[in-house]
Amino acid sequence: MLKEFTCIMCPRGCEVTAEVEGKEVLSVEGNFCPKGREYVLQELTNPMRNISSSVLVRGGELPLASVRLNGLIPKDRIFDVMAEIRKTAVDAPTAIGQVVIENVLGLGCDVVVTKMVGRRE
Amino acid sequence: MRQLDTVIIGGGPAGLSAAVRLWEKGIRNLLILEREKQLGGILRQCIHDGFGLTRFGETLSGPEYAQRFISQVEEFDIPYITDTTVIDISVEEDTGKKKVVAASKDGLLEFEAKTVILTMGCRERTRGAISIPGERPAGVYTAGVAQAYINLQNKMVGREVVILGSGDIGMIMARRMTLEGAHVQAVFEVQPYASGLPRNILQCLDDYGIPLYLSHTVTEIRGRERLESVVVSQVDERMQPIKGTEKEYPCDTLILSVGLIPENELSLAAGVELDPRSKGAVVDEHHQTSVPGVFAAGNVLQVHDLVDFVSMEAEELADSVAAYLREDGLTPCGLSVMTDGNVTHTIPQRISGTEDFKLSMRVRRPMKDCRIELVQGGQVVAERRMKKAIPAEMIQIPVKAAKLNEKEDLEVKVVC
Amino acid sequence: MREYDVMVIGAGVVGCAVARELSRYRLRIGVLEKELDVACGNSSRNTGMLHAGFTYKPGTLKAECAVEGNQEFDQVAKELNVPFKRTGKLVVGFTDHDRENILKFKAIGEQNGVKGMRMVTKEEMAAIDPHAGGEFAMYVPSSGILDPMQYTIALAENAAMNGAQFLFGQKVVGMEREEETYRIRTEKETFSTRWVINCAGMYAPEISEMMGYPNYPTKGFKGEYFILDKKAGKYLGIPVYPAPNDNGGFMTHATPTVDGNVLVGPDSYVTEDREDYAVTKEHLDGLIADGRKMFDHMEPQYFIRNFAGIRWKRYDPETGAILDFLLEADDGHPRTVNLVGIESPGITCALPLARRAVKKLVEKEQPEANEAFQPNRPGIRRFSEMTEEEKKAAIQEDRDYGEIVCRCETVTRAEIRQAIHNPLGVHTVTGIKNRTRATMGRCQGGYCETRITHMIEEELGVAPEDVRYSKEGGYMFMGKVREEQ
Repeated sequence: MLKEFTCIMCPRGCEVTAEVEGKEVLSVEGNFCPKGREYVLQELTNPMRNISSSVLVRGGELPLASVRLNGLIPKDRIFDVMAEIRKTAVDAPTAIGQVVIENVLGLGCDVVVTKMVGRRE
Repeated sequence: MRQLDTVIIGGGPAGLSAAVRLWEKGIRNLLILEREKQLGGILRQCIHDGFGLTRFGETLSGPEYAQRFISQVEEFDIPYITDTTVIDISVEEDTGKKKVVAASKDGLLEFEAKTVILTMGCRERTRGAISIPGERPAGVYTAGVAQAYINLQNKMVGREVVILGSGDIGMIMARRMTLEGAHVQAVFEVQPYASGLPRNILQCLDDYGIPLYLSHTVTEIRGRERLESVVVSQVDERMQPIKGTEKEYPCDTLILSVGLIPENELSLAAGVELDPRSKGAVVDEHHQTSVPGVFAAGNVLQVHDLVDFVSMEAEELADSVAAYLREDGLTPCGLSVMTDGNVTHTIPQRISGTEDFKLSMRVRRPMKDCRIELVQGGQVVAERRMKKAIPAEMIQIPVKAAKLNEKEDLEVKVVC
Repeated sequence: MREYDVMVIGAGVVGCAVARELSRYRLRIGVLEKELDVACGNSSRNTGMLHAGFTYKPGTLKAECAVEGNQEFDQVAKELNVPFKRTGKLVVGFTDHDRENILKFKAIGEQNGVKGMRMVTKEEMAAIDPHAGGEFAMYVPSSGILDPMQYTIALAENAAMNGAQFLFGQKVVGMEREEETYRIRTEKETFSTRWVINCAGMYAPEISEMMGYPNYPTKGFKGEYFILDKKAGKYLGIPVYPAPNDNGGFMTHATPTVDGNVLVGPDSYVTEDREDYAVTKEHLDGLIADGRKMFDHMEPQYFIRNFAGIRWKRYDPETGAILDFLLEADDGHPRTVNLVGIESPGITCALPLARRAVKKLVEKEQPEANEAFQPNRPGIRRFSEMTEEEKKAAIQEDRDYGEIVCRCETVTRAEIRQAIHNPLGVHTVTGIKNRTRATMGRCQGGYCETRITHMIEEELGVAPEDVRYSKEGGYMFMGKVREEQ
């Protein structure tokens, strides 16, 4: 069966046409690079995503510090991870890369800060 | 009055990239002027990831991408002033010197510079600009304003959301608000195709079950205090609403993502000629505007799809500014770049015909299996074959000097 | 129960002018307003024209007050520190019928005492303004342009400086006459007052009835407008109006604003709903077509906003004829002044009407003069209007003058701060906008709105949930993204 995919591995957003049988990929076409094939395989078996959000900062010059995951999580766990992020707060100052939730929900990646927020004067 | 080689107006991605490159090239008498408290520009509120793949080979969030450059600025000790808004640029006629006036809490600051780099970015198109009929309640926000409230100020702008326009920021805000517990009912796009990138349709809308309706627009805003509903209609091929297709969507928030416009008020003050197609300056292959010594890059020049290209454009600009300041001189650019009806605009609009350059452009509508041709005197000097070309994407084509002549204008066309 | 000597109902331009004129006397003055600021209705929803007075029937209150209001306005603008330009006006024609109408109204104008009107040829028009449409025109030198919102705010602030109290969010729902007082009930509380002056604009007929006067028949003529970018403003130096129709009504015109924008509109259609300020595609499209006849740069690229206003007129139910302004005070309804059917040219007529209304009270009671009355209102000093030297001095005096908050209109933090602490205690987002012009530029608040709402919270110590766009239910935010758990 032929299936269409929009690859999200990079901003190029290749439209990939894949011939699939169940969860097996027979051939792919339209991808600019090998990541396209990887992506199709992943979408068929276990779609993975990264998410970005914010955590509360105590005593910061800004009320929030942005965060993201340093790896991908299964798409169907996005809202579970959001619930964890919502519970989290950090003290200013924050540093980029600072881990705020380690191995979130045992999914194998951390929630890390992506913004430097200084202390409120 | 302080004398400078270069004043950079705006410390967002373009300004920062230009500053770092100039410093590396040995241009040290420069200054970045930034109106915000911090450097980084709009990236400070773009907390989603996907930045930096081209420039750094890894995917970063907006604040992280900006920090890479800010850290370099700090490391090199490149001078910058924040909390300072430039209010005027003028050019002295006989000497060509540029006077830059900025307002700050410490007074009116005045600088005299040999060159000025315009990196002010862009602004969002508004409800008023596209004349959406209806009442005027609270709850109608442009995507960038909603993004600033949610990501910088910790304020939720709404719960029951409709989005007009399929620009990238609009789609990103659809996902962002969904993650924060809002219900995004749909995204409506007046054009028959999406104006943002395909990956954002997938990962911001499809992933969350948010429908995208093409050829639809908001034809009425209802609510006298807070927004109560919007009426959406289908549009015909001339983008006029079709009677009888009206449908009411109860909601408390309408997010507009209906286009970006380069912010060129200061460029106009400096006497810079603008291109009505790009809404940015007319520049040559050195990114020099119609005013010698005034250069422009980033979203103030043309609205980009990716920040990586903003940085790269600003770095190329910096190379030209360095050459200009060293007085090796920049090659005069006497040839025009013309476009056919399938091309929205090009950067540059002027070329020398004697040097390599990179052409940036966008197509006016989605096209399949087409060929973009750059033609000079009937000869194809560069071309790009594309399986699909979409308006959401900025297309860049390198052109080799060896193929060019210095007599004839260049034509850019799309052949299907 | 709060007690007053005089209660003015309605804080439109007429109510604010009445309050200001009353504040020349030692009286306890209150102004009840259903909205959260002054001029929320049609006082701000008009062309901002200081009319000369050539279309109103001689001998009417409209004609008398318009000419009087026009002639005194240089002095008024100076006292209240409001922007005003006596630009003159071109009334342009295309046909012989237009010429007849123009000449007819020129004669009426002369009878009303309007000075200096003259017919000009196409060549002379070109010298006055090359972008004006039309084949010939009447030039009216005494017409002018002002910002009706700023003017109403100034009247109100001046009244407040001199002791008047503004009570917002107070919609009048009933009134009872007692021996020496009236009890006025609003949705929130009851006030006691000796005098009542009805300045309720579109709602004047109901208030009139509550006071014991008739519920006069009135109806609404709605009109829509486009606001154009200042980039188009440089092409228009003078208001350009089409020849009036047979009844003296003007259709879509193009008017420069005191701030350098251009207004195109209004058209005119009947509405039943007094809160119907919605703009419609049909009428906006009509404005584009009609506006182009008046102004050659009526282009969508210049559109920054649009709005609608309603001229709510009193009419004769027998003949359908539009009636004059009504100003009455009779002994059957002691200690009342009733103003009904005040519409265009209400801005021009506001102070003359106010003086006539206040005179009714003064004649009855001879109140003591307010010795401390101060006719001058300082207002907020605008950074964008300062010279370079003045800018430097202003920043030295107040560092906040060095922080630009609204870049399109070059409005500083100092101006926003002063607006947030305005004498009337208004703190809606539109209230700040109307006092400073912040968010009125081409980006429509894309840059500064987030800063203004933040400043409102900081300066007044209010929670984000309490910030209002313009109306009671017009909240800006729905809680926080993240809260401490």
